[in-house]
Amino acid sequence: MLVLRSVKARLGGVLVLRDVDLAVEAGRTTVLVGRNGAGKTTTLRVIMGLVPLAAGRVAMAGTDLGALPSHARAAAGIGYAPEDRRLIPAFSVEDNLLLPALALRLPSAERRARLDQVYDLLPELKAMRGRAGGHLSGGQGKMVALGRALMVGTRLVLLDEPFQGLAPALALAYAEAIGRIRSRMPELALLITESSPHLLDRIVDRTVQIERGEIVRDTVPAA
Amino acid sequence: MLQALMPLLVDGLANAALIFFVAVGLSLVFSVLRILNVAHGSFYAIGAYASVSLSLWIVSAGLSPWLTLPALAVSAAIVAAILGPAVERGFLRWTYGRPESLQILVTFALFLIFEDLQKLVFGVQSLYQDAPVQLFGTSEIGGILYLNYQLVLIALAVLVVVALRLLMSYTRFGKLMVAVVADPEVSQALGIDTRRVYMAAFTLGVFLAAFGGALASPTVGVAPGTGPEAIVLAFAVAAIGGLGQIEGAALAALVVGVVRVLAIYFAPEFEAVVPYLVMLAVLLVRPYGLFGSVRVRRI
Ligand SMILES: Nc1ncnc2c1ncn2[C@@H]1O[C@H](COP(=O)(O)OP(=O)(O)OP(=O)(O)O)[C@@H](O)[C@H]1O
Ligand SMILES: [Mg+2]
Repeated sequence: MLVLRSVKARLGGVLVLRDVDLAVEAGRTTVLVGRNGAGKTTTLRVIMGLVPLAAGRVAMAGTDLGALPSHARAAAGIGYAPEDRRLIPAFSVEDNLLLPALALRLPSAERRARLDQVYDLLPELKAMRGRAGGHLSGGQGKMVALGRALMVGTRLVLLDEPFQGLAPALALAYAEAIGRIRSRMPELALLITESSPHLLDRIVDRTVQIERGEIVRDTVPAA
Repeated sequence: MLQALMPLLVDGLANAALIFFVAVGLSLVFSVLRILNVAHGSFYAIGAYASVSLSLWIVSAGLSPWLTLPALAVSAAIVAAILGPAVERGFLRWTYGRPESLQILVTFALFLIFEDLQKLVFGVQSLYQDAPVQLFGTSEIGGILYLNYQLVLIALAVLVVVALRLLMSYTRFGKLMVAVVADPEVSQALGIDTRRVYMAAFTLGVFLAAFGGALASPTVGVAPGTGPEAIVLAFAVAAIGGLGQIEGAALAALVVGVVRVLAIYFAPEFEAVVPYLVMLAVLLVRPYGLFGSVRVRRI
């Protein structure tokens, strides 16, 4: 599905990704683990086109993403939930969810269907659909950011440290939501970054470890 | 006193309406592109030149003078359709994400270039064509004669405030702009082509300024110096209202308009400086303007 080959990327002149090789398969949940500062966020941002490639190649289903601007990557079916949620504060939860559909000019039936599916997978969101994005707790915001990523990400969804800062009950709810997504969208590829991987033990198909901008381990747990 | 103040007030508010058109565009461009465009006043002047030229032609060609009314909007639309994309794509986009000092210098250079171009194309004499003012005539209210055209200007400004608010709240383009203002990067990642939003928002800003200039031209004409005066006042108004605030710009224009009228009445020698005195006073007490705040980026 998504392939990164010998990816290098710089931030402020510093080579932050030195050599990243990564394959994310359709229907699988891949976890990118690594210490703080290892380059997890930067890897996802490179996939989204928010950080330019210094070298290497990023391709999805055979097409090179390198030349595509960010918005075209979203249009190609990649959903992204950043580390720090980043909802539009002035929009209601529902308008936040609908923003990608609006941007991509989805027909209204499709828009409705995707929204219903998100409410189905994340019933918490339906209850707070009218609240302002700026008036949510951190955990609620993470749920909305997940829902928003699902509105775009029909093929691949990138979640950056989704569990960070979640209270245990909420973390559990979030993990259950990911489980539901997994079973309801069997073809979806999921790439999740995490610094404490045990939270994901039950849903992971593949664990990739990144250290100082390099992939050091790539394991598929025995069934 | 009211008898003497009323005509002044209508005059002041009509002026405020014109400055509002420039200020709200300046504010809009600032929130979406994050550039303080020093050349923004030039669009006001160019809109005025375009509209006067078109009206002069309409009248000299023997066409119906009523055509000078749509000509006000048409000339602004032409100016915006040409200069909006050209300036944004040609110059401004190279400065995105660069230091503010560079952005100011680039737009300052554009301002100087536009000033020279105007003199080159339209000469240095004052141009004037007041058919629209004549067409609207006057009304007598309480024994005082008012230019209906000035009342129309005030109504148009109110209409534009409402229209912009509706645009932001209910249209696709408006919502995309609000999202880009709040978070350009996430907007891109969610599928918004931010380049197009920048270009469209800038073009809308140019249109508003050019429309203000076009509307002003039948009352005061246009001459070298029109652009600089517009940008300086618009800066004051936008700063008082809080950069990026639509209703803020409108209320600030209203405040400046009224204060100027009071100055004309009580201390005419201060008329020209009162807008800036108000600006100073507001900025010292509320650095982000009457309606602005640092944390919340909104429009
Ligand atoms: N603007 C910058 N200039 C230079 N280096 C940077 C810049 N931003 C981040 N870095 C460095 O890039 C490296 C990778 O950062 P990244 O955010 O990808 O790490 P991460 O694995 O997501 O960490 P965390 O677990 O803390 O989120 C870090 O070592 C960081 O110090
Ligand atoms: Mg990170």
